[in-house]
Amino acid sequence: MKRTFLLVLTMLLVVLMITGCWNRRELNELSIVGAIGIDKEPGADQYMFSVQVINQGVISSKGGGEGIGQASVTTFEMETSSMFEGMRRLTTVSPRKLYLAHMRMLILSEEVAKEGVGPILDLFSRDHEYRPDFYVIVTKDTKAGDVLKQFTQIEKVPANKLFSSLEMSEKHWAPTVAVRLDEVEASLVSLGKQPVLTGVMVRGDERAGESEKALQRLEPPAYVVYTGIGVFRGDKLVGWLNEEESKGYNYIADNVKSTVGPLACPQKGEVILEMIRSSSNVQAKFQNGKPQIQIKIKAEGNVGEVLCDVDLQDPKTIEKLERNGEQRIKQIIQRAVDKAQHQYRSDIFGFGEVIHREDAKYWKKIQGEWDEVFPHVPVVVDVDLQIRRTGTKVNSYLTEMRKAREKAKEQK
Amino acid sequence: MRFRKSKEPQKHKHATDHRSQHEHEQVPVTQTQVTPGLQDRIEETAKLLGGSTDLGIRTFRLGPAGELLIGVLFLDGLVDQARVQDVQETLSLQAEKEGFAKQALKEQAVIEWAQNAITVGDVKRATDLQAAAQSLVSGETVILFDGCQELLSVTTSAPEHRAVSEPVTQTVIRGPQEAFTETLRVNTSLVRRKIKDPNLWMETKQIGKVTKTDVAIMYINGLVKESVLQELHARMDRIQIDGILESGYIEELIREQRYAVFPTVNNTERPDVVAAALLEGRVAVFIDGTPFVLLMPTVFIQFFQAAEDYYHLSDFGVLRLLRLTSFFLALLAPSLYIAITTFHQEMLPTSLLISLAAQREGIPFPAFAEALMMEITFELLREAGIRMPRAVGTAISIVGALVLGQAAVQAGLVSPAMVIIVSITAINSFVFPNYAISIATRVLRFPLMLLAATFGIFGIIVGMLALLFHLTSIRSFGVPYLTPFSPFVWGDQKDALVRWPREVRVGQKGGKAE
Repeated sequence: MKRTFLLVLTMLLVVLMITGCWNRRELNELSIVGAIGIDKEPGADQYMFSVQVINQGVISSKGGGEGIGQASVTTFEMETSSMFEGMRRLTTVSPRKLYLAHMRMLILSEEVAKEGVGPILDLFSRDHEYRPDFYVIVTKDTKAGDVLKQFTQIEKVPANKLFSSLEMSEKHWAPTVAVRLDEVEASLVSLGKQPVLTGVMVRGDERAGESEKALQRLEPPAYVVYTGIGVFRGDKLVGWLNEEESKGYNYIADNVKSTVGPLACPQKGEVILEMIRSSSNVQAKFQNGKPQIQIKIKAEGNVGEVLCDVDLQDPKTIEKLERNGEQRIKQIIQRAVDKAQHQYRSDIFGFGEVIHREDAKYWKKIQGEWDEVFPHVPVVVDVDLQIRRTGTKVNSYLTEMRKAREKAKEQK
Repeated sequence: MRFRKSKEPQKHKHATDHRSQHEHEQVPVTQTQVTPGLQDRIEETAKLLGGSTDLGIRTFRLGPAGELLIGVLFLDGLVDQARVQDVQETLSLQAEKEGFAKQALKEQAVIEWAQNAITVGDVKRATDLQAAAQSLVSGETVILFDGCQELLSVTTSAPEHRAVSEPVTQTVIRGPQEAFTETLRVNTSLVRRKIKDPNLWMETKQIGKVTKTDVAIMYINGLVKESVLQELHARMDRIQIDGILESGYIEELIREQRYAVFPTVNNTERPDVVAAALLEGRVAVFIDGTPFVLLMPTVFIQFFQAAEDYYHLSDFGVLRLLRLTSFFLALLAPSLYIAITTFHQEMLPTSLLISLAAQREGIPFPAFAEALMMEITFELLREAGIRMPRAVGTAISIVGALVLGQAAVQAGLVSPAMVIIVSITAINSFVFPNYAISIATRVLRFPLMLLAATFGIFGIIVGMLALLFHLTSIRSFGVPYLTPFSPFVWGDQKDALVRWPREVRVGQKGGKAE
């Protein structure tokens, strides 16, 4: 009995020593951080560190009396020269220790991104409390702090709004890309791939959006919207892809889950296609020792909306629409490739990695000057689009109206 | 020392001579004139019982001329008065009819004559007054004969016992609705009626130096494992105790591990469960005076197997998995809550974390203290529910609901989530078919909570590992407690976690499950 007791005691003492990084905190001693924004004035050597803390009492469903008059989140700002210092210095403002495991968004301002994100990201992957599964985005024409200060509709926590909005738009719209911290890091250190981050901007009256009154208006004075993809070279932001080019990027990166896009009708007008499936296959081929990139896209879509007079009952029309669609996707992709190759000269698609996989020896030779080689690599795009369904309706009203008229004419 | 007054007024007159003498000697009064020999022995017997006032004594003469003086002793309440009457009547009728020859009054002859004359019950001969006293307390009637060393004891016992009624602690919806009573013989007969096989054997022992409680060991010859039976006998013979008042006394004294939290001996108040266990080759131990019968050997999974698993057909005993889940929840729900909310907040989905954190806003105690407080309150309520007089039952439940639920939350002392956790724990601790395992979870819950509060999930893992080591190490009559999982017995899996349909279970080697 005595022996057992001693054994248990020893075990417990050992347990005390081998627990790794752990810390006992009660839930109500935590300030749950939803998002962090990092700003920098041009030329300044200090960062502005903004932290959005969730105001738990207000958010909870029981809400009611006590929550009135308080915003659902609080944003603290602190000037600092390093992230960690800023983090800790915030305790002078925040009543509780900031709890970072549930952080959902890291927002970098355009200025910071242009100067280079390298020095910023270290803390977020080094500190044990962060989980590297939050999304990183870049502001466009606005400050990160301002994005965090906007009242958001429907979703009470702006960080959650940014989070789910990014996921939803990536899933159903395509020109955004939800990039996690670990993915950013992977492409930062890779020679054959450059990082991209989705841009975010405030549309409308920023100052009005920061007031609680914004919530009481049916039409909010300002929205936070995602817009296009920011292209990096190394750790510096070099420019933006517009919506269409962003979609092109996502086609190549095999990021398109579902999207909507117009394609030309045989005559005039457009058919709007809902892409339901898309897969891309990027390969490198060598001709005369020179690499060539082949992009094969296999896509499936449904007719979502018909804005022209076209007979969808005719298989030939469908075929024609498919060809038109292929042309269209090809165009989008080529524009994105074009912009990356010639305007930004940044291999955001990871062609370098593809070549590396294909011919490691060749890659070893050129990896040092890949930035110079990349703009001149020929890219061949091949799209195979198939239209599966036309929705719950076959022909559009336009077609039916025309047919009815023709019938009436015949009967006369 | 006082004797009970004789009920034979016609013999009054004979007593007068001796009375004064007796009173003078501070010896109790009898109103019957008896020869000193008989009187002395009656007094001596009464002395052995401390002159207890429930001792009934009658002395009277038998035979046409009152040739034979006898004393009849019994403990009032233990005997069936009608049967005692019967004995007396038989004796006196026989004596009246036959009369006594001079020869017949000789010692041996009288005893033999009386033994033959009595037609009621079991008749034993003895010479020792000590034995007579023992017979008396067992509900027998002792007959002393004047001038005779030997005495007779006749079984006339008719102990008070209640009728067989419905089970109180182990109820079923479908299945036999009878339960054991406090009477050993009734209990054994209930099982005999279920298993009509001459191979159903029974052995009886008396345990308890003072209580001399009857204990019956029942098993089916041929199915039972000899080694288990021998071990049981050996352990029972080793028992040195003054009194056995409940099966728990025996259970504690015959199990291997003195300090085990988990029960290694099963108990039941249901005859059908005993019958099933006997058919599985187990041994049942009946103890007089309690409706709970012990079953052994016992393994862990048995506590999750309800009798009804075999009576309802549609669920295939899948409910056992539910009960096992309940076991872990009853054991771990508060600890997991404490560990996750105080150490591993990152494990929770963000929205859940926010909601939990919001509930904890303004709660002055750490989660551990909160949980401890609520668990202890619940245990108190449970205890009160058992101990309190029935009449105040509603008061307790109202106060309990208010204290545990609403008021504590509204006062901001406890978070609503904690109330849910405590309720879940409570509900889960009541699903087991046998209360014994529920006690084990109750005992282990608190150390686990402490571990969770100091080391988080890490502590829980350590605690559960220790528990697992403990479970694998304990044995019930030589059978590893975690059979058929460790050691793994493939054949027994058909009736372990899930009860397979009968066609699958039967017709397979080793189809008899744990």
